[in-house]
Amino acid sequence: MNGMPDLSVQIGRLILKNPVMPAAGTFGYGHEYEQFFDLNRLGAAIVKTITLAPRVGNFPHRSVEVPSGFLASIGLQNVGIERFIQEKLPYFDTIETPLIVSLGGQSIEEYVKLAERLNVQKRVDALELNISCPNVKKGGMHFGSDPQVTRELVTRVRDVTDKTMIVKLSPMVTDIRIFAEISQQCGAEAVSLINGLAGMSIEIKTRRSRLGRNATGGLTGPAIKPFALYLVRQVYNTVDIPVIGLGGISSAEDAIEFLIAGASAIQIGTFNFVDPTITLKVIDGIEAYLTQNRIGTLSELIGSLLEGGIGGSDA
Amino acid sequence: MTTPYEILKNENISHNYFKIKLNIPHFPTPKPGQFYQIRCSTMTDPLLRRPFSLHRLLRDGNSTHIEILYRVAGKGTEWLSRRQRGEFLDILGPFGNGFIVDEGTNPILIVARGIGIAPLYSVGEEIRKNDKKRKIFILMGARLKERTFYESECEKVGEVFLYTDDGSKGFHGRAPDLLVHLLEEKQLPEKFSLYACGPAQMLKELADLSVRFGFDGQVALEEHMGCGFGACLSCVCPLRPNYIKRNIHWGKPALQWSEDRTQVYSLICKDGPIYDIREVNWNEWNA
Repeated sequence: MNGMPDLSVQIGRLILKNPVMPAAGTFGYGHEYEQFFDLNRLGAAIVKTITLAPRVGNFPHRSVEVPSGFLASIGLQNVGIERFIQEKLPYFDTIETPLIVSLGGQSIEEYVKLAERLNVQKRVDALELNISCPNVKKGGMHFGSDPQVTRELVTRVRDVTDKTMIVKLSPMVTDIRIFAEISQQCGAEAVSLINGLAGMSIEIKTRRSRLGRNATGGLTGPAIKPFALYLVRQVYNTVDIPVIGLGGISSAEDAIEFLIAGASAIQIGTFNFVDPTITLKVIDGIEAYLTQNRIGTLSELIGSLLEGGIGGSDA
Repeated sequence: MTTPYEILKNENISHNYFKIKLNIPHFPTPKPGQFYQIRCSTMTDPLLRRPFSLHRLLRDGNSTHIEILYRVAGKGTEWLSRRQRGEFLDILGPFGNGFIVDEGTNPILIVARGIGIAPLYSVGEEIRKNDKKRKIFILMGARLKERTFYESECEKVGEVFLYTDDGSKGFHGRAPDLLVHLLEEKQLPEKFSLYACGPAQMLKELADLSVRFGFDGQVALEEHMGCGFGACLSCVCPLRPNYIKRNIHWGKPALQWSEDRTQVYSLICKDGPIYDIREVNWNEWNA
């Protein structure tokens, strides 16, 4: 092999120069990170879930830390689609990175309206349907845990959008493969997984939830990585569309595990808060790994998990 | 000149209270009330950075140093307390808006409980640097005598009134009780600017007193933070929709209104951690 390895990857009709992107809800509206690094280096940028109307979000005291994890109940606080288009979207004209917009709704009609509105925005390259938010009362996870609802939602959004469509799956189901298959059948060009797991933490002195009135939250961070990796492998073995893997990635090594398991691309969520430049470190780390292992293109690595024991390996 | 974020000193000053001195870059210069996000781990547990307010800014020749006063309260601060001179820390910041340090002649009233004195001390010291005569009163204390600390340092910048909830040292009662007592006994001037930091209940009671006695004030809020730079939206503070009082020296607020405009949340890391004492919706914050 000569020269630099090829890190590019295709997700739907999008060509990403590398497989690394932030996860929705951990990257604000993008500009929050420009103080730390050049966003042009990302494979793709993604903004936090947008809803039709602005949302003030959940009660204060929205997050607590648990061992190697982050338990948070934000409740899809966002500026709403119109302000997003007017005030947040123009920022992305200053960078060239492909842009994915995450969208969420309280009804299928809301997803359809959002997709229609975003379909005419030239700067938006892809949509990620958030059908798996664990922290909203209406909608959220419901759309991603009932196969009939998922089927109808994905089909109807597909009807109104020409953009690359990604469906973000919930881990809070008995068999995630069913939802991945439905997404593929209904026209999704990729699936991303996993969203946060529902979780709790209790302060025993007061016998109250450490998230106060919010009571429960979504668990993310390194604590969920083995579970996420397992589900990514399951889905990779089930569908033909690309899998975007996420859940607790905090290093290039973690990201490489997801790629070997079958993820075509990866997203980094919670760890952006710990190290806002982690995405760049992961890009560099993947490149170094490919170089060291004489792997010319990223596609050779994707899903390359070997079977059998590790007894004979000298690793 | 030493490298940024090198630890110059890290000492246990009393009980579980510590003070760490660090070398920082010359720019940006932190302001009283701003905070740093410090990684208190090299692993994933503890995971998130911990926010620490600026306690003192010191200039030493070509070097800029800061001091951070902290209480060991969990795994993160416990890790920090074991770091030694010569080690380096992973730090982001300074973040947030600082206190607006009143440049007039108004006497200053500082009200703290426990570690709440950490950011307030820098307000007093900043004023003292430029104005030796200005009156500074400091009300400070804790639940009981054994928990009180830092009075002698505070006496260098102002007149200290100590309180303990159980009366084991100083005034018998909590900070708002002491403030009412001093106002009724006319031991404080009629007009002053309040700077406060401590538990939410204390701040709420001070807000009520600010209405009753007609004084202005700023408070520093404490909250769990995810990132510290406005991306995670964890650290929201509810404001009163009809009484938002933003200072022109503070950046454009990242306020999120509900669609019917009856609710408004600010981000503590961006719009705070300093607030006008009356703009916070204390009932919602303390619920």
